[in-house]
Amino acid sequence: MIVNTPSAREAVAITGIGAVTPLGHSFEAITDSLLAGRSGVRSIDPGEFARESQQFAAAVDSVPAPPDGVCMFNGQEFAALTRLEQMVVSPVAHALADAGLSQHRDRLRIGLVLGLGAEQLKRWELDFLAGGRQVFEPSPTDTLVHQVARMMNLRGPAVTVAAACASSGYAMALGRTWLKAGWVDACVVGGCDVLSPTALAAFYNLRALSRRSDDPAKASRPFDRDRDGFVMGEGGACFVLEPLSAARRRDARVYGELAGVGVSSDAAHMVTPCSDPTQAARAITQALADARVTADQIDYVNAHAAGTPVGDAAEAGAIRRALGSVVDRVPVSSTKSMSGHLISGAAAFEAVACLAAIARHAVPPTLNLDHPDEHCQLDHVPHVARERSVRVTASNSFGFGGANLCLVIREAA
Amino acid sequence: MHGSIPNAEATSAACGVASHALVEATLAEIPGLRDQTVPEGVPALPSRYLRHCDEQTVVGIRAVLAAIAAHPEPRPSFADYGVVAAPCQAGRIATAQSLAMLRTAGGVAVSPHVVPQCSLHSLAGAVSVALGMHGPNIGVSGGRHAVSEGLFTSLSLLAADESLPGVWLVVSGWTAEPSLDATGKPDCGRTQEARLGPICRALAVAVTASADAVADRGISRRLTLHMPATLRVARPAAESHGAADEILDFALGLAAGPAASWSHTCPWGAEIRLAPHAVARDGLRVEHGSTPRREAA
Repeated sequence: MIVNTPSAREAVAITGIGAVTPLGHSFEAITDSLLAGRSGVRSIDPGEFARESQQFAAAVDSVPAPPDGVCMFNGQEFAALTRLEQMVVSPVAHALADAGLSQHRDRLRIGLVLGLGAEQLKRWELDFLAGGRQVFEPSPTDTLVHQVARMMNLRGPAVTVAAACASSGYAMALGRTWLKAGWVDACVVGGCDVLSPTALAAFYNLRALSRRSDDPAKASRPFDRDRDGFVMGEGGACFVLEPLSAARRRDARVYGELAGVGVSSDAAHMVTPCSDPTQAARAITQALADARVTADQIDYVNAHAAGTPVGDAAEAGAIRRALGSVVDRVPVSSTKSMSGHLISGAAAFEAVACLAAIARHAVPPTLNLDHPDEHCQLDHVPHVARERSVRVTASNSFGFGGANLCLVIREAA
Repeated sequence: MHGSIPNAEATSAACGVASHALVEATLAEIPGLRDQTVPEGVPALPSRYLRHCDEQTVVGIRAVLAAIAAHPEPRPSFADYGVVAAPCQAGRIATAQSLAMLRTAGGVAVSPHVVPQCSLHSLAGAVSVALGMHGPNIGVSGGRHAVSEGLFTSLSLLAADESLPGVWLVVSGWTAEPSLDATGKPDCGRTQEARLGPICRALAVAVTASADAVADRGISRRLTLHMPATLRVARPAAESHGAADEILDFALGLAAGPAASWSHTCPWGAEIRLAPHAVARDGLRVEHGSTPRREAA
């Protein structure tokens, strides 16, 4: 394919972060929680339709209102939005403000890519639970990405992407591509998800969720031999991406560089993780090659590891294959042990975890990793954070439909 | 805030179209498509593969199979292709049924298939799994801009990875959303109106990284993207029509004769054009609007 752009070799910087998560809503608060090993998993009231065994998750109490001047509405109007709309609008607005670009939207092509795997399902469900009939009699409405682009006067391309649990990571990858192709000047990327009775029930009935309801904070135990499924969470994160040179010219805070992307598909099964690590390992290898780093330069791997028996073992195999002989010297942890699984928002949240590791030179731990599974042999970081120099990180995300994604995020030059 | 923000430049990109197919079905016809045999010479689907799939996935996969069957020989391996699928309001019928069951019988009655088979990623994942495609697979849009978002994302994937040989783009939607009763069940063929419509429409297009010399039904075509330096100030608010009209328009553009061209403007002002790309036997390549040049033998 022919792309006539001078920006293809330009590094892509992360200059703004907005987040809504069970572990806090600012970069500093999330970083503190991750490195302190705090769990966001707790008992919840999932509504009248759920069973006792579904009454725990990593929930968000309240969604912070957008900063003044970024959106076209006030706090009262924000409060009237649905929970899904709040979860999208808030991190986009905070990311723009954090990057210092909210005042420059008129003369920039700012793109928007949101990873929302089940936007329609959640919209219909929220409406149904409030007594509405949209799912039976739908009226044409724009998707959230176009509503938010209008709301925030963003003049670049706007796309919703879905790759199940890798959705927000694909959003980051797509925004990076647009920058490198010269199609945008900056791009807001990320994604989120909200808890809902249907999603809880569907994942429970798939036998994908942990049933450890007696001790919610111990339920999410990636790589542990006693893991029995994941714990649902909600929230997500958005980032502003822009060329590193542009960020340096305007003295923007640079959190890190989105240095490499690798993607592949297992093409094996719509739901069950593939036991053959070939394609997942290929995504990791591609990302390293794209970032022009070697396995021995990786200081931290944030694993997808959700705590499912099959998925964690498959990922450990993929990491071992991709990193080869240095694998036992590369710390690996799963922050889902603290945040739960944010589904569409997971990859973006875990990118925040990588930036946290870079900022504080410490690797977040995997909570509840009491007895590492012999089929998941890696350099684990159990229970407490590990201090070490962190300059280059890799973050894996895998989703239904066999979607594999790896992002390399590193300290900016 | 210090320093300056650089001025944007207009950019362009180009890729080829190797094959395409449009499949349409009413609700009453979709059960038959779930079990239909595949066209001759096309890889068989796993047994009962489409049993739990959303209606747009069923029609979308049939469109891909038809486009593979129509692909000019020699047909390449699609093992390294990516998949971009842009359904419009997919999964609504299954979601309505799940919500109705949730209310009457509680969480125990919610289908475990509703998330994996009826979400935005489902059509892309189903194509990738069914046909063994190991490139990236992603769902996009979900709304009325499915054609814009699908085309733009397909071009993005090809721009991102030089080793990606092509992408199957599938766009789908209903001509009108089917009416559902309180249990989420559609009026599926019990009345004359239901037998005649609405129609689920899916278009599959093999978009190739190479813009050169791929003949689709004897016509070589090129898709070009033009990103202007200045994008639109305001986007139009939602209009009443869905994606189905734009899908048909794109399909008609693909089906038109060699002299015809088609163009599409995305909501953000980018223009995507489909234009003939003639290749003479002696290797002289003629691009419309440019000076003919002779390629190396």
